[in-house]
Amino acid sequence: MRPTQLAGAALLLMLVLAFPVLVNPYWLTVGILAIFYAIVTASWALLVGYAGQFSFGHMGFVSMGAYCSALLVSAAGLPIPIGMAAALVLSGVVGAVIGYTCLRMHGPYLAIFTMAFSEVFRIIALTENEITGGAGGLEVTPLFHTRSDAPYFYLGLALLAASLGLMSWMTTSRWGLFFRAIRENEQAAAAAGVKVVRFRVLVFAIASSFAGLAGAFYAHYIGILTPDVGSVDQMGLVVAMAVIGGAESLPAAVIGAIVVEFLVEALRAYGEWRLVLFGALLLLTVRFARNGLLALAWEQVLRLGPVRERARPARRPAAS
Amino acid sequence: MTGLIEAVDLTLRFGGIVAVRGLHFAVREGELVGLIGPNGSGKTTTINMLTGHLSPGSGHIMLRGARVEGMSADRFAARGVGRTFQVTQLFSRMSVLENMLVPGLARPHSTHVAARRQARLHLEFLGLAALEDLPARSLSGGQQKLLELGRALMLEPSILFLDEPFAGVNPYLRDEIIRLVQALHAEGRTFVIVDHDLEAIQRLVQRLVVMSRGEKIADGTVDAVREDAEVIRAYSGV
Repeated sequence: MRPTQLAGAALLLMLVLAFPVLVNPYWLTVGILAIFYAIVTASWALLVGYAGQFSFGHMGFVSMGAYCSALLVSAAGLPIPIGMAAALVLSGVVGAVIGYTCLRMHGPYLAIFTMAFSEVFRIIALTENEITGGAGGLEVTPLFHTRSDAPYFYLGLALLAASLGLMSWMTTSRWGLFFRAIRENEQAAAAAGVKVVRFRVLVFAIASSFAGLAGAFYAHYIGILTPDVGSVDQMGLVVAMAVIGGAESLPAAVIGAIVVEFLVEALRAYGEWRLVLFGALLLLTVRFARNGLLALAWEQVLRLGPVRERARPARRPAAS
Repeated sequence: MTGLIEAVDLTLRFGGIVAVRGLHFAVREGELVGLIGPNGSGKTTTINMLTGHLSPGSGHIMLRGARVEGMSADRFAARGVGRTFQVTQLFSRMSVLENMLVPGLARPHSTHVAARRQARLHLEFLGLAALEDLPARSLSGGQQKLLELGRALMLEPSILFLDEPFAGVNPYLRDEIIRLVQALHAEGRTFVIVDHDLEAIQRLVQRLVVMSRGEKIADGTVDAVREDAEVIRAYSGV
């Protein structure tokens, strides 16, 4: 890493760490929600961008993790960390079952199946109001009893760093290679000796467990949990974040989630028109930058490198 | 006859159509066998069954004396059964080297260093070493066929099924593929080659198996098969 890049990274890290003291409580809430969406979007990118399993039910696992932890803590009296760990495990196990169930499904069939699963879970959460509180919401024990939300920000940041680190490690290991091989061509992957069934189930389980963990964090932060967290609207937002950022790169997906979440709030004065803007942005991204706007921007930066090198005047050789 | 791989009374139906009927077919260690027949005779279906991509409706597949029918394709690959496809199937957006590393790292106890070294050796052998960083989709059709062969070689297969390796390949590359297969065969590898290019097949193989309408109609040396009345009838349609 060059000194300028190192200095830039250090400055960015300082800004992120100082974020809670630099902004008012409203924008701190937006920052915490952006972190939540970043974990969800990165895990969806792992599933869709790397392994090619187009799930439209990812928010169902977020919702499952959220209700699992909330209910275990409030009804069973378990400590919050145990509740969050249980959310991670439950979402992972159910993700594996869903992954196994739809082994023979691809593309739109897989998307419809997973969306149906998510909707079924949302309707159950809505209907079983004696357990879940239904549309009125479930009161969830907060993680921290502080006046400031800063502890949530730092915990969220730690969860994001850990999730991203683990997922990045996976994508650069042989597992990542197998995920991409399955995305490219399942038949060829099987002929090359890749255990396609095992890795398809595995990627569903891993992505769902991160979604469940994010859901548990969200539940203990937001305080009142409603079934809407697993709605199709929310899933659409995550898709938009991943597509605009770049679904085939975890950091791009994370940045996409953060940028979109902040833009959604910054443009709130425009009401529903801001959603039209995001719809248009999504269409343009899919049409002109299928790897995401950030990936496109990064490519431009990489291309500019040699251009700058060429544009730099050549040093005259020292006179001998 | 027992062999390295053996089809015993294999039958497969797709709905009302019998794709392969009562096929008996064995390949011995170190053989180079050609599997030919008119379009729709069941050659690719046979290869798909013998490599685990299709499960036979009835009959057995014996690999080194053990029954393996119904196993998944990856388990066939793990047992040393490699293949290429009629229409080249690559990991298009992955690099040439990554295409090679997938089977290399799928093998148990493999390491990145060993897989990379082995991949580069095979790429050198196939004449693709200079292209290792390119995406597979950017290769020419012939180079893609070679890469697919290289990917199968990464399994260190005991038997290789090549499905139409000469289809859509220019004469120069066809000769190159023949040379490579001959070199690999000389090292002791076993091959089953399906193709319509009879001239190329006859240059390569020691034994020909002929299929027509899902059944084996001839099995013998190239000269014997060429004279076989049923084979002439199947090809001429008379």
